[in-house]
Amino acid sequence: MATIIDIPEEKAIEVNNFDFTYAGASDPSLKNISMPIAKNKVTALIGPSGCGKTTLLRSFNRMHDLYPGNAYNGEIIFEGRNILQEKEDMIKLRTQIGMIFQKPTAFPMSIFDNVAYGLRLKGIKNKSELRDRVEKALKDAAIWKETSARLKDDANGLSGGQQQRLCIARAIAVEPEVLLFDEPTSALDPISTQGIEKLIIELKEKVSILIVTHNMQQAARVSDYTGFMYLGDLVELGKTEELFVTPAEKLTEEYITGKFG
Amino acid sequence: MTHVEKRILINKIVMILSSLSAAVGIAFLLWILTILVINGIDAINWNIFIFEGAPPGYEESGLKHALIGQVMLIGVATLIGVPLGILAGTYLSEYGGLKSKLANTIRDISDIMMSAPSIVIGSFVYAIFVAPFGHFSGWAGIIALTIIMVPIILRTTDDMLQLVPTTLREAAFALGAPKYKVILQVVIRGAKTGILTGVLLGVARVSGETAPLLFTSFNDNFLNTDLSEPIASLTVTMFNYATSPYEDWQKLGWAAAFILSMFILGLNILGRLLLMKRKSK
Repeated sequence: MATIIDIPEEKAIEVNNFDFTYAGASDPSLKNISMPIAKNKVTALIGPSGCGKTTLLRSFNRMHDLYPGNAYNGEIIFEGRNILQEKEDMIKLRTQIGMIFQKPTAFPMSIFDNVAYGLRLKGIKNKSELRDRVEKALKDAAIWKETSARLKDDANGLSGGQQQRLCIARAIAVEPEVLLFDEPTSALDPISTQGIEKLIIELKEKVSILIVTHNMQQAARVSDYTGFMYLGDLVELGKTEELFVTPAEKLTEEYITGKFG
Repeated sequence: MTHVEKRILINKIVMILSSLSAAVGIAFLLWILTILVINGIDAINWNIFIFEGAPPGYEESGLKHALIGQVMLIGVATLIGVPLGILAGTYLSEYGGLKSKLANTIRDISDIMMSAPSIVIGSFVYAIFVAPFGHFSGWAGIIALTIIMVPIILRTTDDMLQLVPTTLREAAFALGAPKYKVILQVVIRGAKTGILTGVLLGVARVSGETAPLLFTSFNDNFLNTDLSEPIASLTVTMFNYATSPYEDWQKLGWAAAFILSMFILGLNILGRLLLMKRKSK
C-alpha cells in the first residue's frame, strides 16, 4: 500500500485514481495514481528508468494525445475541472501548463522569436508589449545578460545550458500556472545544471513546479515534496526531507540507499 | 608471408583498384566537359540570344526560341511541381508518419516513379494528353516534367522533415500551438535548406530531360509562347541540330548543350553548397 501524505498547502493539481495505457499495450503503464501537487512548491518525481515518471509528467499537459491510441483513466483535477475529459481545450491547457524537455528545444528562429512564440500564439501582436514581455521572461529565466545584445541572432548559436534557459524563458513568457520539467539538466554540464536548479527554486514563487529527475541529489536540492515511483505505481509521496531521511516504505528506502535502480 | 603482411597487401590492392576506378570515371567526365566547353564557347555569340531558328546556311539563326521555350517549360513545371511535391512530402512525414500504410504505399510508388525511364512517362502523357487532342503542346510537356519532378521533391521533403527532432514538434505543441502552425513555423522552417536542396536537384533533373518532351511539347523552329501549341526546348533543339548534317546547325547544337550543362551544373553545385552549409551547422 502506498504512503501518500496530505499536504497543508493549496493544491495546484490533484490526481485521483489515474491509470494510463500506451497504444497497443495490454497493461497500464501507470496504475491507480493519486497525488496532490502543491501550489507554489516544487514536487519531484524519482524512480528507476521505466517506472513511469515521465509518462505521468506528460499526462498533465496531455502530450500523449499527439500519438493515437493512448488511453487515460481517472481524474486529473486542475482549476476545478478534470483535464482528461474529451472536451478539454488542448491549446488553452498547454498555455496554462508549460513543459521543459530533457534536451533543449530551441526553435530554428531568433532568440527573440523563440521567446515571443507562445505570446504570438496567444494573439499578442503589439510590438512594444511583445518586447516588454520577452525581456521580462528572459530576465526571469536569468539569461537576459547574455542575450540582450543579440536578440536577433539564431537561437541555435547558444550553448546547451543557455538554450535550456531560453526554453524556460519561452515557457514562462506565457505566464503558466504550472511548469513540468522532464529531466531538464540531464543533457547539461554541472555548472549549467546548478544555474537551472537555482532558477527552478526562484520560479516557484510564481508557478507550481513538477520535476522528473533520475538524480536523487537534484530532487533533494530543489524540491519541497518528492514522490517515489516504481513499476507504474506511486509508492510514496512525502516532504522531501522526510522521504530521504525517514522513508515510510521499505521499497523507497531500498531505492534511496542504492540497493536497486 | 605473415597474416598481417597479407592483410596489408590486400589493403593496398583494394585501395589501388578503387582509386583507379574513380580516376576512370572522373577522366571521362572531365573529357566530356572539356570537349563541351571548347566547342560550346566557340559556338556561343550574341546571335544565339537574338535570333530564332533558321534554315541551314542563314547567318541570322539562333536559339532564342529554344531558350524561351525551355524557361517556360521548366518554369511552369516548377511552379506546379514544387508546391505539389512539398505538400505531399509534408503529408507523408507529418500526417502519415512511418507506420501509416497509405503513406508507405505512396513512398513506394514514388520511389518506383523516380527510377522509371522518363520516356515511359513521356509516352504516358502522349497517350492521355496529346493523342486525344490531336496535336503536341507545351502543356503536355509541362505535365510530363511535373510528373518526373514531384517524386524527387516529395521524397526529399519527407526525408528532411523526418530529420527534425520529435522533441522540437512536442515543444511547439507544449506551448499550445495548433498542428498547422507547428508544421509551418517550426518543422518546415527547421528543414528549409534541405527542402530547397531537393527542389534545386528536382529542377536540375527535369532540365535535362529530352525523351518525354519529344512525345509531348515536340518542337518548333520559331519562337512560340503559346503553351497550347508545340514549343521548342533546348534539349529537343539540341537533339535535332546535333543529329543534322549541317555544320552551322551542329554548332548551334553545341551552344545549346553548353548552356544547358552550365545551368544544370550550377543548380547542382548550389544544391550541394546548401547541403554542406546545413551539415556544418
